[in-house]
Amino acid sequence: MTILREFAAELVGMFFAETRLSAALLALVAATAWLIDYTDLNQLISGAMLLFGSLALLVASVCHTARPRAP
Amino acid sequence: MMWSTAAPAITAAFLASLVEVVEAFTIVLAVAMLRGWRPAAAGTAAGLAVLASIVLLLGPLLDRVPVTSLQLAIGVLLLLFGTGWLRKASLRAAGVIPLHDEDAIFAAETAGLTERTHRRQKNLDWVAGITALKAVLLEGLEVVFIVIAVGAGRGLVAYASFGALAACILVLATGAVVHRPLSRVPENLLKFGVGVMLSSFGVFWTGEGLGIAWPGQDLALLLFIALFLGAGVIASGFARKFSVEFAS
Repeated sequence: MTILREFAAELVGMFFAETRLSAALLALVAATAWLIDYTDLNQLISGAMLLFGSLALLVASVCHTARPRAP
Repeated sequence: MMWSTAAPAITAAFLASLVEVVEAFTIVLAVAMLRGWRPAAAGTAAGLAVLASIVLLLGPLLDRVPVTSLQLAIGVLLLLFGTGWLRKASLRAAGVIPLHDEDAIFAAETAGLTERTHRRQKNLDWVAGITALKAVLLEGLEVVFIVIAVGAGRGLVAYASFGALAACILVLATGAVVHRPLSRVPENLLKFGVGVMLSSFGVFWTGEGLGIAWPGQDLALLLFIALFLGAGVIASGFARKFSVEFAS
């Protein structure tokens, strides 16, 4: 059972190791899907939002972790 | 098949497997050094059998999923997984979190296994075999995901598997020669590269799954790779600046 538990934990950790980044990326995908399905916005603009949004979230997440916190 | 898609898929599977197999090899080697090659080989074979079963079970199931749904699901998972690796590699490159140290892991695993075998005087080979199985299973899980994820969207599973297999052979052959943990492998650099490729695949598949027709089709992947590489380098630079400011 320990192996199964570790296996499951590994599986979850693969995608949600950094919860805030994962949640923000999922929200970005949902927002992109909404724009494509429910607005007349050009698909490429939605695609650019997905691409540059992901890049921005990555940089923000790294900076957030590296930034020194007040004791 | 477009080589602009196949080449990144094979390269991503090869490099990711290289990282994971090196990590698994360190633990299997510790088991072999303490209890001999028999339990180490048995545990490794059992782990590989479980991983192969997962691929054999999932492969036919994934064929039944509509391609756009598959691209969207795999794209999102790749995006989450790839950015996770890239984030960690950027932080490690900046010195914010420590680098993966195979020698330290080997020492810790050896000490842990010695302690576990002292506690259970019986079935020592069993404990050693389970340790090897766990290492192969847990490290191999990521390889299986990557092979399926980069291959499933465009029927490239066989090519991605070839990349992963080549990495296994390379690590095992090197390990058999040097007979010690492969601590000189530039693991973080590899993880950085794999993170860049998987994140790029993630955005590409997610977009296609949502119905976005990327300009240049598969060639857009190359642009995404360049952009994620740039973002990773910039993020690492910022992180280094913050950590230096904090230290001074």
